[in-house]
Amino acid sequence: MNKHKRVRDGLALSRALPDRSLLTMVAAMSLLIALTFTAAVGAQSLSERWARGAANLITVQVPDPDKAPVTDNHTTGGSRVEAVLGTLKTAPDIVQLHRLNEQELDALLKPWLGNTGTAALPLPAVIEVDLTAGGVLSDDLVSTLTTIAPGTLIEKNDDWRSQLHTVARSLLFCAGLAIALVGTIGAAVIGMATRLGLGSRRESVTILHELGASDGYVARRFASRVAVLSFLGGLAGTLVSLPPIAILSHLMAPFSGAVSSTTQNGENWFPILKDSLLAFWHGAAPQSLLIGLGCIPFVVTLIGWVTAQVIVRVWLRRLP
Amino acid sequence: MIRLRDVSWHHGTLPHEGQATLRNISLAIPQGGFRWLLGPSGAGKSTLLRLLHMEALPRSGDMEILGTEIGSRSKRSTLARLRQRIGMIHQDFRLMPTLSVADNIALPLRLQKRMEGEIAQEVDALLDWLGLVERKKARPVELSGGEQQRTAIARAVIMRPSLLLADEPTNALEDSQAARVIGMLRELSDLGTTVIVATHNDTLVQRFPAPALQLRQGRLFSDE
Ligand SMILES: Nc1ncnc2c1ncn2[C@@H]1O[C@H](COP(=O)(O)OP(=O)(O)OP(=O)(O)O)[C@@H](O)[C@H]1O
Ligand SMILES: [Mg+2]
Repeated sequence: MNKHKRVRDGLALSRALPDRSLLTMVAAMSLLIALTFTAAVGAQSLSERWARGAANLITVQVPDPDKAPVTDNHTTGGSRVEAVLGTLKTAPDIVQLHRLNEQELDALLKPWLGNTGTAALPLPAVIEVDLTAGGVLSDDLVSTLTTIAPGTLIEKNDDWRSQLHTVARSLLFCAGLAIALVGTIGAAVIGMATRLGLGSRRESVTILHELGASDGYVARRFASRVAVLSFLGGLAGTLVSLPPIAILSHLMAPFSGAVSSTTQNGENWFPILKDSLLAFWHGAAPQSLLIGLGCIPFVVTLIGWVTAQVIVRVWLRRLP
Repeated sequence: MIRLRDVSWHHGTLPHEGQATLRNISLAIPQGGFRWLLGPSGAGKSTLLRLLHMEALPRSGDMEILGTEIGSRSKRSTLARLRQRIGMIHQDFRLMPTLSVADNIALPLRLQKRMEGEIAQEVDALLDWLGLVERKKARPVELSGGEQQRTAIARAVIMRPSLLLADEPTNALEDSQAARVIGMLRELSDLGTTVIVATHNDTLVQRFPAPALQLRQGRLFSDE
């Protein structure tokens, strides 16, 4: 009552629009957008993390690194991995060779194996070969390596890198599509609510029009109200999305390279949620995610404002 | 200045049985003129006033309102600004159902973003003059026909319009009140407002002699 007194042009929009259902719908849409967006950012940062490194990084895995190398002339002594390293050193195009030490291997495998310790497993030696841009390992060299150390795997990161990129890009595309779709449905819902409000205020709007209220004035009155409701809905939806997103980003942290406290894989969710929210609060989540989530209420507000403006202005066209 | 040349209008998309509501209307009223609009029921008086108020646009012919040419290609903002200078008393009052009497009367000034203090002064003066002070907080549904009509009159004159269109503005009023209202409209026209009053009330017409526009079956017969 007091609220509509403030404007006193008789539109009484606080009672004309289906407030609660509009708010709920917008909140649900915002929640969907937030989750989809998080999934997209997650996929993106995972793919980036996994595919990081110089453009031309090759991993060479040497099984049974400590056995003696298989060679024609038995002049080279030492182990297979040393023999492989020695051969690689003579090759052209190589910028850097690096054999991963135990800690690095541990770090690499931790997401997959946990903290159980890798010492017990018969691990291959892993050598990272950094090639000059455009450089390749010749077929001769590769065959030499596999002769010296049978079972040696030469993994061109390029292959799975590009595959990963394709996957990430299609994931992003799907997420974008989903967000656009949800946004469109949201606009449609807001549009219908506005139309409903116009219908219930048909007489008042016509009278205002006849008294010389401009289209802009009437559209602004509806759009402000719709924008406020959309903002509140967007805010609610985004807030509701935070706990699950915090947990997700917390669980994903070891994969995406963010620092995080180790989570016990226990059944008790409350400490996990607490840890997650704390970590989230202290910036464990990627910044792009936070910025994106923060934008949702405002984007939704903008969608509400524009939709209401268009719907009202189109409706007013029936009056000359 | 109000000028119509060969203006026709009909309800719906096509004239029914060749029957247009308004047919080839031509008229010219100088600024500050006062005109009675007379004719039997169904002659088209309300329709002509609605046309002058630009609630509908002419289907053919030329129309000039307050010096502005009006047509289907007129800009909507231009029409809105013109309407702000026109006071209209509808036959069915068209009060804002959600607003009190005082807020209804204040509405045109609020739309023009006048100062609240100034608005209150104008509203109080009109409430007093029209005997509505006691009813100022009432909603239109709580009003008698005459009270609604007086509210509509007050809302139409509060912003000192350049053009005042009154569609049977006194049919719900007592004779003495009706005479006072017409007297006020005459004064407004003396002050420069163009006034057109549609009525069936012959006594009033005789009491306030003025040029009349005679409508019959959508055709205009001026007695000027
Ligand atoms: N919405 C409508 N659709 C079709 N015809 C209409 C409509 N409104 C009015 N008419 C017709 O238009 C003609 C003119 O009507 P209008 O209301 O202008 O008459 P009027 O002179 O104001 O009559 P009254 O003195 O009874 O108020 C009438 O024949 C009426 O039947
Ligand atoms: Mg009439």
